[in-house]
Amino acid sequence: MEHVRPSTLDEALEGLAAPDAKALAGGQSLLPVMKLRIVRPSVLVDIGRLELGGVHMSENELRLGALTTWNELESAQELERPALAALAECASGIGDLQVRNRGTLGGSLAHADPASDMPAVVLALGAQIVLRAASGERTVSAEEFFLGPFTTALGPAELITEVVFPLVEGSGSAYVKVEHPASGFALAGAAAVVRPDGGQSVALTGMGGQAFLLASDANPVDALPDAEIYGDRFAPVEYRRHLAGVVARRALDRARERMEGTGE
Amino acid sequence: MPAARQLELVINGERRSAEVEPRTLLVHALRDGLGLTGTHVGCDTSQCGACTVLLDGRAVKSCTMLAVQAEGAEVTTIEGFARNDELHPIQRAFVEHHGLQCGFCTPGMILTASDLLTRAPDPDDATIRRALRGNFCRCTGYQSIVDSVRAAATALREGEAA
Amino acid sequence: MSESVIGVSRPRVDAPDKVTGATHFAADGHVHGLLHARLVLSTEAHALLQRVERDAALAMPGVVAVLTADDLPLASAGSDRTTEPLARTEVVFAGQPVALVVAESEAAAEDAVEAVVVEYEPLPAVVDVEDAMLPGRALARVLEEDAGGGDLESIHAGVDKGQEDGEEEQLSGNVLDTVHRNAGDATALLETSDVVVSGTFRTPWVYQAYIEPQVATAWLEPNETLVVSTSTQGSFVTQRELARAFGLPLERIRVIAEPLGGAFGGKLALMEPLAAGAALALRRPVRVVLTRAEDFQATNPASAQVTHLKIGARKDGTLTAIAARMIVDRGSNAGWGVEGITSLLVAGPYRWEAHEIRGYGVQTNRFTFGAYRGPGAPTAAFALETLMDELAVELELDPLELRLQNAVVEDDVGVSGNPFPRMGAVEVLERIRTHPLWQSRDSLPDNEGVGLAAGYWPGGNEPAAAVCRVNQDGTMTVVTSAVDMSGVNTGFAAIAAETFGLSPDQVRVVAADTATGPYSGASGGSKVTYTVGKAVLKAAEAAREKLLAAASDELEIAPADLEVVDGVVRAVGAPDHSITVAEISGKALRFGGRYEPIEGHGGSAQTRGAPSVAAHLAHARVDRETGEITLLAHVIAQDVGRALNPALVEGQMRGGAAQGIGWALYEELVHDENGQLLTGSFLDYAIPLAERVPDIDTLIVEVPAPDGPFGAKGIGEAPVIAAAPAIANAVAAAVGIRLRELPMTAPRVWATLEESGA
Ligand SMILES: Cc1cc2nc3c(=O)[nH]c(=O)nc-3n(C[C@H](O)[C@H](O)[C@H](O)COP(=O)(O)OP(=O)(O)OC[C@H]3O[C@@H](n4cnc5c(N)ncnc54)[C@H](O)[C@@H]3O)c2cc1C
Ligand code: FES
Ligand code: FES
Repeated sequence: MEHVRPSTLDEALEGLAAPDAKALAGGQSLLPVMKLRIVRPSVLVDIGRLELGGVHMSENELRLGALTTWNELESAQELERPALAALAECASGIGDLQVRNRGTLGGSLAHADPASDMPAVVLALGAQIVLRAASGERTVSAEEFFLGPFTTALGPAELITEVVFPLVEGSGSAYVKVEHPASGFALAGAAAVVRPDGGQSVALTGMGGQAFLLASDANPVDALPDAEIYGDRFAPVEYRRHLAGVVARRALDRARERMEGTGE
Repeated sequence: MPAARQLELVINGERRSAEVEPRTLLVHALRDGLGLTGTHVGCDTSQCGACTVLLDGRAVKSCTMLAVQAEGAEVTTIEGFARNDELHPIQRAFVEHHGLQCGFCTPGMILTASDLLTRAPDPDDATIRRALRGNFCRCTGYQSIVDSVRAAATALREGEAA
Repeated sequence: MSESVIGVSRPRVDAPDKVTGATHFAADGHVHGLLHARLVLSTEAHALLQRVERDAALAMPGVVAVLTADDLPLASAGSDRTTEPLARTEVVFAGQPVALVVAESEAAAEDAVEAVVVEYEPLPAVVDVEDAMLPGRALARVLEEDAGGGDLESIHAGVDKGQEDGEEEQLSGNVLDTVHRNAGDATALLETSDVVVSGTFRTPWVYQAYIEPQVATAWLEPNETLVVSTSTQGSFVTQRELARAFGLPLERIRVIAEPLGGAFGGKLALMEPLAAGAALALRRPVRVVLTRAEDFQATNPASAQVTHLKIGARKDGTLTAIAARMIVDRGSNAGWGVEGITSLLVAGPYRWEAHEIRGYGVQTNRFTFGAYRGPGAPTAAFALETLMDELAVELELDPLELRLQNAVVEDDVGVSGNPFPRMGAVEVLERIRTHPLWQSRDSLPDNEGVGLAAGYWPGGNEPAAAVCRVNQDGTMTVVTSAVDMSGVNTGFAAIAAETFGLSPDQVRVVAADTATGPYSGASGGSKVTYTVGKAVLKAAEAAREKLLAAASDELEIAPADLEVVDGVVRAVGAPDHSITVAEISGKALRFGGRYEPIEGHGGSAQTRGAPSVAAHLAHARVDRETGEITLLAHVIAQDVGRALNPALVEGQMRGGAAQGIGWALYEELVHDENGQLLTGSFLDYAIPLAERVPDIDTLIVEVPAPDGPFGAKGIGEAPVIAAAPAIANAVAAAVGIRLRELPMTAPRVWATLEESGA
């Protein structure tokens, strides 16, 4: 295995063109799977020092660089407002202090672990994911991005550069998870957004092959019976389905409290 | 096998050089290459925190970082945590408040506590416990560790005030 | 007299080294020319080994050897982990070591493990322990082999096997051992009892989860001495095991027990035969360090157990009889199991008029059973203490008063047939009675509850010796071969200082090895302070006699009229007539000196047990929707005999209680129906984290052990035992459900709530 540290995005994209090349950001997902010898890249393109970080707020959107760490998200003042609180809340519940010091937003989304937390939040907040390849830039919606367990719309030599969140003034958001007692990943996680116009969205994670939005405008929880939910040895499917309802409802309640300024 | 190369690192304030392969984890470079065996290995799933070191002052799991990723950064291990031959207040608190039994988790606990206390100088117990989530201890039941961190926070605040 | 050092909290003597990274654990030592070994583990739970294909691995860079059982210079035929460290012909659990890859670096060894191909002829895997007992069932081991005869059982607790009996039950060959304890007519008494409660309780395999994975390093000295530097609980027992494995005389084996990164019963002679076998075969130093994944699969966790239990009482709360049938899953351990001890402890610290208890040790194709803090005790306590609570409900009695009314006192005869020594069962319950948490139990918010449970550990004995040597500068060196698992060295320093007349700062405790040290048994079974500590006390007394004889000569005062205070010998009542310990020692330790070195040797051979008992209170909140249990507070009251160093005693109590919380809520090693481990990493196997352990209030109760040093007794096991049933009883108090299986995971709690309609 080779390790290269490009100094520009273009160089990184060039490096990724090599067969079996992999981007290395915070390494908090990639190194664990490499240690288990599940993934064996020939070249690691270390993007960790590229200028892809930062929390950028403008009037109607929030742009988060792919290399923004969980720790930056959990402590960013910009994310204190109810409309974006789910982001910080979710980040602060990921892994542990050491993992949050290094793990990045882009890495988590690209890794697309079906039990990871943040995919639910980007889905519920209706984020757009900005991707760059040598051939150019494209933007895909969060819904188009997640395709299955550890599978996304990313091309082999493509990088996430930014994630863009529309700002809906006056809305409230929340993330609630029941964690697996050993791994800490989501046994069931729900991100909810409640808007002043009465609209609401809920996305679930940890339930199946990938995070997904509950398709319903009225009450998203009504869509639960049709959702594809998996069981496993630890948490049988009846329990997971029940839990999905619990976290979805709790997330909605908290999002509404935040919107109305009655919570916290 | 890809060629090993000499890697220059700043460890505990000193410039050190170690022979590493690109795949070598920082923890192995520290332990095997540099003889800094106070950094321990307790798991292979990046969970236990026994391998925690400071990278530019921030706690990281040295088993979940390549040695090459530490190039250009300042690494602090438990061996370099004491200040001028005197125990760091956090170390002293762990001794005085019985924050250890077997001691295998201790270096990682202390370094994680250091990161916490630089950001939150006056944490409550819940904050301390949350910060130590990625540091397993099987001996103490954690309470004496929480006591030690709380006492260290006080000592550090008083030290600063003085 | 200066103030006593007994009963005063002091930092551990090893703390400064441990906070600076200066402590060298067993994986840390530099050994010149060291080779690194990695295990090839069986992927089958039960199979005959056909072939180990090693050429591809041997061809890889840095690989020195791929060793199988035939390559190790093993002496005897046995089938235990000492005499068969690598499987010979039959593998009996998935994860059993089959081969060792030895290479110049760990990475090279790890790479090569993947290139070793092992061919198996699969056999049926026996995984259902109850089914495995039935006559005619497939056997978990098909090839007849010598069951061993190792020395590993006696380490934990001295327990007999109960009575032999004639009426033979029809059982399969998987049942390796049966225990029968009975007195009186329990069946008849249960039929006539006013209230009877019963249940079947299940507990899983549980992993010790020491944070330092198992490791051993072995090499041959030029004089052919085999040296093993290792993370072990006992150096002498390891030496004996190695002698048995390789047919070597004891004096050719030197075992050095390095500072231990946690063990809890799990680190006894598993790695050393592998490292030593490889070193003997290759004549080069070899280190075996387990990865955590290997440690999960290839070591020796606590048995799963099924307990059928029935207890009865009269209306007034007097316990009548207990009937139990206890099935212990030994996995592949043919040498010993916990059926003896668990069938004793299931009766708890209570008086019974009659008992009928049977224990069965059954082999299956899962792990090799090993000890884990209080082996056989948490499982027994979970069953008994749950039913004690149910009994209280049926009787409409306070659960604490019910226990108190029936708690054993000195000379009550237990189900062992022997009288109980002095033990503070009544005292710990009385301490709990007045605790604010217990007082508040009826005024808690919804879905919260407080639960109570008690349990005891009989303690263990093994002769031990120690040496106290006074140095020229008046400081003292205490030498023992005890492995410091729980802070015992700090206790030894206090015992020696107090007995001799020094301050503890002037005492240094060193751990010697089998070549240099006085004898000591393995650390385990809560016996080190009680046995080795007693030897230290006697050694300090012997040294003091030498000191007083010399001082008497110097001061011309009779020894009986002298006292030693803080390193000074002085006349009682005339402190000006004095001489320092350093002066006397200086006069002894020099050319032409007049006095014998101020040095004492002491030994102990305790015969009476010194049981320790603990009662727990747990305060739990149950989330009815998710099934999650949150612990809000925990209290433990324990009879520790005498707290030599209260801070360390509290550390043991809290650490034990936290492990009990693990039993209660999280820990479970699970196999699939083919015997494949499903929870072989910390990603699947949860242990208590800082966030999930509440503050644990410790109440130290001191009922001195007559033979213990300053009344101290072993305290390591007792605090783990009754934590889980206290939590279970708290859950029952909170939401009215009784779980019959550990751990009480959120999905199980939720399912039980659903079933109960509560
Ligand atoms: C102990 C532990 C606990 C954890 N707990 C949780 C948890 O509770 N919840 C949770 O959600 N996660 C958890 N994680 C995972 C953690 O959040 C990771 O940090 C994150 O999933 C990956 O981010 P990273 O920057 O470390 O990515 P890396 O590990 O560097 O990369 C992950 C993958 O993404 C690719 N990649 C990285 N960056 C980009 C990019 N910009 N564009 C395209 N591809 C990219 C890499 O090639 C790789 O395939 C945990 C991890 C650990 C070690
Ligand atoms: S060794 Fe690094 S987290 Fe366990
Ligand atoms: S002190 Fe032993 S693991 Fe923490």
